[in-house]
Amino acid sequence: MDECACHWIQYARRGLLVTLALSALLLGPGVANAQESREESIAAAQAEKAKHLAPYVPNRAEALLSRALTALTVEPNGFYPMFGSIYSGGGFTLGAGYRHFVSDRASVNASGLYSIKNYKLFDVSFHTGSKRARPELTVKVGWRDATQVGYRGLGIDSPEDRSNFRMQQAYGGAELTERPVSWAIFRAGLTYEDFSLSEGSGGAPSIEEVHTPVTAPGLGESPTYLHANVSAGIDTRPATEYARHGGLYEVAYHKYSDRDDTFTFDRLDAEIVQHVPILRENWVFSFRGRLQTTLSDSDIVPYFLLPALGSGSSLRGYSSWRFRDRHSLLFSGEYRWTPSRLAMDVAIFYDAGTMADRLDSLTIGHMKSDVGFGLRFHSPVATPLRIELAKGSEGLRLVFAGSAAF
Amino acid sequence: MQVTRLRSAYLLLALAAGLGAGDVPSAAGRRFFNDDPIQREPDSQDASNVAPWDIDLYVDLTLNLFARMGDKTPNVRAGNINTIDEVPDSNWFTNRIGLRPVTIDQAANGPLVNPAPAPGRWTVTAPKRSGFAPGFTMRDSSDALWFVSFDADGFPEAATGAVMVANKIFWTLGYWQVENQLISVRRDQLDISPTAKFTPMSGRQRPMKLSDLDDVFARAQRAADGSYRAVAARGLPGKVLGGFRYYGTRPDDPNDIVPHEHRRELRALKVFGAWTNLVDMKAGNTLDTMVTENSRGVVRHFLQDVGSTFGSGANGPREYDEGYEYLIDLGLLKKRFFLLGFPSAPWMTVPYEDNYAIGRFEGTEFDPLDWKPRVPTAAFLSARADDNFWAARRVAAFNEEMIRALVKTGQYSKPADEKLLADVLVQRRDKIARTYMGAINPLIDFVLSADGRLSFKNAAVDAGVGKPPANGYQAVWSAYDNTADTASAIGSPTATTGTDVQGPGGLPAAAGGFVKISVAGVGAEQAAWNQPVDVYFRRTAAGWQLVGVDRMPAAK
Repeated sequence: MDECACHWIQYARRGLLVTLALSALLLGPGVANAQESREESIAAAQAEKAKHLAPYVPNRAEALLSRALTALTVEPNGFYPMFGSIYSGGGFTLGAGYRHFVSDRASVNASGLYSIKNYKLFDVSFHTGSKRARPELTVKVGWRDATQVGYRGLGIDSPEDRSNFRMQQAYGGAELTERPVSWAIFRAGLTYEDFSLSEGSGGAPSIEEVHTPVTAPGLGESPTYLHANVSAGIDTRPATEYARHGGLYEVAYHKYSDRDDTFTFDRLDAEIVQHVPILRENWVFSFRGRLQTTLSDSDIVPYFLLPALGSGSSLRGYSSWRFRDRHSLLFSGEYRWTPSRLAMDVAIFYDAGTMADRLDSLTIGHMKSDVGFGLRFHSPVATPLRIELAKGSEGLRLVFAGSAAF
Repeated sequence: MQVTRLRSAYLLLALAAGLGAGDVPSAAGRRFFNDDPIQREPDSQDASNVAPWDIDLYVDLTLNLFARMGDKTPNVRAGNINTIDEVPDSNWFTNRIGLRPVTIDQAANGPLVNPAPAPGRWTVTAPKRSGFAPGFTMRDSSDALWFVSFDADGFPEAATGAVMVANKIFWTLGYWQVENQLISVRRDQLDISPTAKFTPMSGRQRPMKLSDLDDVFARAQRAADGSYRAVAARGLPGKVLGGFRYYGTRPDDPNDIVPHEHRRELRALKVFGAWTNLVDMKAGNTLDTMVTENSRGVVRHFLQDVGSTFGSGANGPREYDEGYEYLIDLGLLKKRFFLLGFPSAPWMTVPYEDNYAIGRFEGTEFDPLDWKPRVPTAAFLSARADDNFWAARRVAAFNEEMIRALVKTGQYSKPADEKLLADVLVQRRDKIARTYMGAINPLIDFVLSADGRLSFKNAAVDAGVGKPPANGYQAVWSAYDNTADTASAIGSPTATTGTDVQGPGGLPAAAGGFVKISVAGVGAEQAAWNQPVDVYFRRTAAGWQLVGVDRMPAAK
């Protein structure tokens, strides 16, 4: 018997049962049959169904959905796919991870990522705790290879012409996160970071062909750091990766101690994010301000660790690492609306930022800016896909990201 | 494609045979049986072999959001009603308020037949497996099984109060309900069963430890004396079979023959849901169990979790748009996408009292016609005006005293919380009565005396939500042939400005004769009231017996 005929018989049976059932129970007006009473009539319909009982079998749509949901479910232990970022500007990246829990809340995770620009990342970490089971501790070691990181010189007026460098970074360290109350967050970390800088690949010339240590501080050097960081913040957002109300007020201090002290420097990062909901969050005005400042004018910050602007998470109309200097200031504003509060946000945004070699040279009157339009596919706590089109003074840029803008 | 066409064609034929074809019964047929109207829907077959199933939450959610589930044929009369437009008692529903007298004490007691958890030490047997409220499963000192859930931290009395009150309301309406008890739990009275299993973040199940309750209690609202207020739901007797869907039938239950989207008591949840803001209409909040009746296994259908009501969810106040919009509405999404978030919606500006216990629940701006659950619900989409009317009559039957008594079972510590909830329920009750009783001819309780005088009531007028038609009522009388389904006029139509009307001479006098009377308002403000209700009486030795009511005869 062919498949269609089987379906036909199933539908016929089902239809017959519907008919019998409705006829038996309903008098609007009802149908003729051989039974002498309503009860007998209903019993006859039930007896008819009893002849054709079948276990529940999900239909095609249900089965397909189930399979899709199963595929999307990541088991606590075992392999899992990864879509992430190795280093800003690396392009589309895929990878895989393997996680193994060693206790109720502690896990060891190994992952590898590869991007279309030949960026690579291998990372092994140990993580314990959760947002509820405080504090959280992460210990990790890894190696990153970014083959064609962009560099265009110093300052907000640096030329558009790009050069590339290759940055390899071996690292190992730990970070502790504590949330004594739901709205306060403290972090402290210590990481050993061994950098190896070399010629960049890709279409642009390599950095040493275009720049000197004057225009690219530390060029030719490969320092090794002990990087200490501490931060304190007030975070009233319902989730860090998706929020329509609340805010973040955070200050972070970084101390990069070079092993031979040549490139030791201290940096302070301050960030303010505030979401202002209008009419029960149907519209949201979101604002962000971020300052990154090198604390001592006498310290030399190597070119690849300078504060930077440009990328899908800062100046969205400019390419990754477009602007670099010792101090940076960024403002972003978004007008968001929610066609579906479960699944999708739309935003019109404006970013403006500037860089300078001295803090007091950061001026609002001398900024690069962009405007754009974005779609965010989100859950109540995460933004797994953000697609944005931004226009800056250097043209249009399309942003694909797996995280919130801010 | 071929299968789809065949199915569509067959469904049309099937529905035509079940509903329309009845207009021309065969020679052996009749419209009314001698036992009509039946008072109980029989479960004639042994359903012992029904297998438990697990309806996946996300599959259920996705299908309901993006597909129209169940029979899409419009205007299908409810399939489980009897000939007088009522729902017979069944393992789905038991007639209580609106049909039978229910005292305030009975309503406030609700489904309770057993005592509260026996005091003493309680043994946790399992973590909570469904829902977002913190909780666990336990056995009390008399070994009774209980499912315990707490108020979320920061929202005292919200979730537990809602469960207690809604449980009584839905029992009074007629649904099978679990026995819920409000209890106080102290951590030091709990033990862990040696057989209890727990699955931590690692995904590896292991014996449960007392410390596994840390997370539960961290998320629960703690009272000043260190105790935790909770609802304990008594384990249901019989084998648990999983939930039911609001469409289709269970393929292995021989007694489940009416597609659920055509069951009136499920369609009516659209109205009851609007009244109580029962937004979480998912299969996971229902439960089927196997019980034994007349030595046969039959399936009983519970509305297991009606706690998603009023203005509070498991973890705090509801989202503002809940009750106003589906989780995803593609039409609205498209509009808002292109119109920068417009059009605006009522939920954006509805004023709510700042109340942690009751949450976002109000009656001033509430419009029953605009109310929506979280996801489209097949039974709601199939509901007709007669289903809504049937439900609205039951809502209207809750008098204010009863509503306040039911709200009291939530044991809110602040009188203002209790007052707010009761006030809003009264407001919403009145709006529901006004809306749905005005949408269809609301005549009820037809009686034809032996001497041919028809009396009736106007449910809307009696509920105080409508005025009698300006020019009274008109009745068209016919002799009805139960076999041929034909009616022949008797005399001229008769009229009345009251609620009884004398019939013409010449009504059938012999036992077994039938009369059909079409009664309509004349000059009613509501156009629908001027459409007739067809009522049918059978002559018996004792007089006339009401055997048929068709509130929407024109819809055939």
